[in-house]
Amino acid sequence: MNLKIYTATLLAFAPAILNAQSAAPPPDLTGVWGIYRGGPGSDPKFRPPAPSPLVLKPEYDKPYQERRAAESAAAQRGEQLANTGAQCIPYGVPTMMAVAIYPVEIIQTPKQVTIISEAFSEVRRVYLDRPQAKLEDVAPGYYGRSVGHWEGDTLVVDTIGIKPKVSGYRGMPHSPQMHVTDRLGLLSPEILHDQITIEDPVVLEKPVTYTVAYKRMPADYEMVEFVCDNNREYVDENGIVRLKLHDK
Amino acid sequence: MRILHAFRTGLCAVVLALAATFVLASPVWAHHSFTMFDMTKHITLNGTVTSFEWTNPHAYIEIDAPDEKGATKHWSIELGSPSILMQSGWKFSSIKAGDKVTLIINPLKSGQNGGFLSQATLPDGKVLFNGPRQEAPPAPTQK
Repeated sequence: MNLKIYTATLLAFAPAILNAQSAAPPPDLTGVWGIYRGGPGSDPKFRPPAPSPLVLKPEYDKPYQERRAAESAAAQRGEQLANTGAQCIPYGVPTMMAVAIYPVEIIQTPKQVTIISEAFSEVRRVYLDRPQAKLEDVAPGYYGRSVGHWEGDTLVVDTIGIKPKVSGYRGMPHSPQMHVTDRLGLLSPEILHDQITIEDPVVLEKPVTYTVAYKRMPADYEMVEFVCDNNREYVDENGIVRLKLHDK
Repeated sequence: MRILHAFRTGLCAVVLALAATFVLASPVWAHHSFTMFDMTKHITLNGTVTSFEWTNPHAYIEIDAPDEKGATKHWSIELGSPSILMQSGWKFSSIKAGDKVTLIINPLKSGQNGGFLSQATLPDGKVLFNGPRQEAPPAPTQK
């Protein structure tokens, strides 16, 4: 064999060979994950770190604070003001990632990661094999459009296209330009963190970041269906949430 | 018989703690707050189940129970969702119409015959709570 050709061929393929050898498969996040709060005696490094402050631009902060004050005053009177919860509509991105103690199921394949929340059976599809679309090409919805890629052992998910009607983090308002980034990573085989960053150039003074911690559910756990077909809460003429009572 | 309680048992504390956790803890969100219920008051209902609705967003027990004068009153009692209830030992078939049960509830602040379940004693004597009482001690495996 011609040594020159051999050397040239080897050099040409060297980067690909080296890359293939160094690219370890990503961790497998597949499984059902329960909300992990970290109780007494738990390892502090597995607890979710404190969220960053939520700082809204003044024109959005004023009505937001007024609403919070009204909710608080109503609660003092023993009343709950109307909210999306009473309407029994899903939470959307990113709130669906942590609802009460409902677990989320992650199904990971090389081209797609699917996240299913037990509460409201909400589904996020994260495409790993294609780029993000332009915002103007995404129909505004509860889940928008999510694409993802691996940065080392961290799955980075980019989501756009959440419509303003969808209830935001801590009830914050948001614009159609809200951009959500999830960074999902295992801290151990049993503990998963999702660091969520919300950017919104219209509403937020600066991005807000919070972390949801999960603990792996037992391997035999089966997700429970959730269809909101018996919502007895309603909003009365004063905007207060009431409970429908049956008489038999 | 309807007995009014205003006690502070460990259970009461747990329910309040759960309620507070659901409502206040960031960044985890709950379906709704427990504002409409008086979580400091407990009422015991000894009665007959007329229906058990294993539904979302909440399960309900409909029950006929005598008041202090012996007159039968109907109550609608809200529980957690099936998902939450299953994490504390409930099944869709745990109770059925006709079963005699004892329910301890947090009543509606409005004074109407409705409430939020605190605990249920089933016909076989088994006691079930309205959701997990506390988080199991975590024992995560480290790498």
